[in-house]
Amino acid sequence: MDRINKNRRKFFQTSAALVGGTVFYSLIKPFEAKAVEANQTELDPELPLWGMGVDIEKCIGCGKCAEACKVENKVPAEPFYFRTWVEQYTIKKDGEVKIESPNGAIGGLEQSVENEDIFKSFNVPKLCNHCTKAPCVQACPVGATYVSPDGVVLVDESYCIGCRYCIQACPYGARYIHPEKQVVDKCTFCYHRINEGLLPACVEVCPTEARIFGDLRDKSSKLVKFMQKNPTQVLKPHLNTHSRVFYNGLSSEVK
Amino acid sequence: MKEHYQHLYEILSQVDGYIYPNEIEMNWGLMIVLYPYITGLVAGAFILASLERVFNVKVLRPTYHLALLTALSFLFVATLPLVSHLTQPLHAYRILITPNPTSAMAIFGFVYLWYLMVVLLLEIWFDYRRDFVLWSKDSKGFKKFFYKTITLGINDTDEKSVKIDDKLGYIITLIGIPSAFLLHGYVGFIFGSIKANPWWSTVLMPVIFLFSAMVSGIALVMVIYMIVNWVRRQAIDMVCLDTIAKYLFYILIIAFALESLDQIHRFYEAEESFDIIKILVNGKLNLTLLGFQITIGTIIPLAVLGLFQVYQPSEKLRKIAYFIVGLFVLFGIFFMRWNVVMGGQMFSKSFSGFTTYKINIFGMEGTLMATAWLVLPILILMFLLWLMPPWKKSTEYLH
Amino acid sequence: MGKLIFRLVLSFLVFVGVFMLIQDYLTPESFGKYGHYRANSLDDNKKIIPQFKGEDACASCHEDIYEKKSETVSFDDDEYILHSNLKCETCHSPKIDARTECKIKPPKLESTRKMCGQCHSINASRKNKIKMIDMSDHNTEKNCVECHNPHNPWIE
Repeated sequence: MDRINKNRRKFFQTSAALVGGTVFYSLIKPFEAKAVEANQTELDPELPLWGMGVDIEKCIGCGKCAEACKVENKVPAEPFYFRTWVEQYTIKKDGEVKIESPNGAIGGLEQSVENEDIFKSFNVPKLCNHCTKAPCVQACPVGATYVSPDGVVLVDESYCIGCRYCIQACPYGARYIHPEKQVVDKCTFCYHRINEGLLPACVEVCPTEARIFGDLRDKSSKLVKFMQKNPTQVLKPHLNTHSRVFYNGLSSEVK
Repeated sequence: MKEHYQHLYEILSQVDGYIYPNEIEMNWGLMIVLYPYITGLVAGAFILASLERVFNVKVLRPTYHLALLTALSFLFVATLPLVSHLTQPLHAYRILITPNPTSAMAIFGFVYLWYLMVVLLLEIWFDYRRDFVLWSKDSKGFKKFFYKTITLGINDTDEKSVKIDDKLGYIITLIGIPSAFLLHGYVGFIFGSIKANPWWSTVLMPVIFLFSAMVSGIALVMVIYMIVNWVRRQAIDMVCLDTIAKYLFYILIIAFALESLDQIHRFYEAEESFDIIKILVNGKLNLTLLGFQITIGTIIPLAVLGLFQVYQPSEKLRKIAYFIVGLFVLFGIFFMRWNVVMGGQMFSKSFSGFTTYKINIFGMEGTLMATAWLVLPILILMFLLWLMPPWKKSTEYLH
Repeated sequence: MGKLIFRLVLSFLVFVGVFMLIQDYLTPESFGKYGHYRANSLDDNKKIIPQFKGEDACASCHEDIYEKKSETVSFDDDEYILHSNLKCETCHSPKIDARTECKIKPPKLESTRKMCGQCHSINASRKNKIKMIDMSDHNTEKNCVECHNPHNPWIE
């Protein structure tokens, strides 16, 4: 009995040493990776920092952008899935605010309030705001959505588990579950296009140049010029998301 | 693909005011209601057990083991609703593989594991270890195999080993209380940390969740204790039951006070989101909030339990009243979770309109699935009570 | 007591160790290279084939139309740009992806009154931004393109 115990102890000691060593190594290894990770800034100053300007004073609510986005990104045609859409605000003379965006403005927005009741009316294109401090990225449990080194909030389709916590965390309603892929989908600033030197599809087709796309680091870019010339504002600034979609002519009624 | 949006056309026609176009579909459904509900039952049941052990409330002795086993049965099921609501349930393991340190949901996986492995399993193990050894000697088949394995080869049954078990079990319970607080406070944080949603984003959320968890867990153990004793045709220990009811009453008061504080604060500050929340509470949440959660789940139990503190009717009447109050509380807390989860998604983040929730019978988010997740822990509990019946325990600790 | 604690701590460590090994094994390659995400996902996002080709691609074959579209028009001493601001694909939405010869499926357009109205119909939100036409009154029986060349609406 005693001998068995002794043998046992020896066995345990050896295996403990082995297991302990492995555990120690595997404990260190992720921390190594984490230390490297923490040292890296998420944005790469060598790369462009993409952003968009939206000129509400120019938008006519034709919905060409929303239409083009669906074509370019193969977004399902059903009226529940939008990477971008246009809202029409009509402030009535009695102070009531009417907001509408039938089918995300695809096919063009129509005036729905009589002229004599209108105090003012304008259209507001909406899309993912590509926040620098993105609440969706903060919330994603697995790291399937992230801010790219050039400042675009992207989704890793192959890694998303579909918990939809990011949809809850997004203050702008920019995310949805893609009915075919069954993972989260959202505006990417047409990442595949901008990396080829093309413009995002919505910017490409806008007939009034109400959308301005460019590199915020490039002081000669159209976007920087637009921001210098106009007083710009971001949506829901109180949430401190540091979004990179800048609006000119943003009225306080816009939510 | 069609099945994913067919029902949305109907909801689209019921949209009230303006909502962002992607908000028509409510992304969190019944499963996310169940998840905090079940986790809350676990935390509550455990805290009731700790009352006996750590705070030395001896009269609660008859429910101690029952409360622990109840907590364990529900804990086994706690994450299953979460997994079944994923669109990619097979990839759920990624939460543990690459947990995002800034995500409340990712860290929950570890809080859960800690609570299951280190707290509940260990505490129950220390509590049952000597009995496992004894039972393994005079049982056969599966039971014998199970008892033998679970002892991990430690076969001491002497006084000294029992003392050690007791001491270690006590330490684990001490760790367990903050862990139980963490477990359910954390669930509250998953909602409370969403700054985009004013219905959820409040610092009180973890505390509110914690106290409502205690309320529901205590009510559950109370009901289960009565049922188990009825089935076993054993007399119910009325001193124990009255004490549980007393604790239920006190904690219900705290929970209600916290929730009221939250609503009063909202009402008085009347921030940007207040207008839409006012319409929400008086409209779409009217029945489930004012009717189910507050009237049935809180006011009636408070009135009955409060009355019993000053006037005690006959034993028989009290038993019936406790049973009904327990069920009312469980019903009310379920709708408390419902109101948080559904209420937060019914109004648009544009604060200008509402969508509706259409409940399904079938499918991963349907009522059938939800019923299954609620029945499963009961079955597990029945199995555990068969495998390790508290009433057959011969080891009594001195603590 | 020592034996008991030793075994428990050992099983705990074994559990943690095995867990971390599995974690290490299952973490996808390139994860954490730039941040808490799969760096290869950047390439996945870049790999998507564009649909809209951009104006330069159109102009390389249809120079005549492109020039016509770019002409400005003087009217009441003011210079108007009219449709020169419009990109080809604003109206001619692509029928085939940008990597494929567009002749296979040319982005032909069936001009309708509705199409023009999408931008030009009267809408309070368009005031002073674009020339608005009362579509219910302005030559209702005619298609817009019968009088206006869409590539330069005031010529002809």
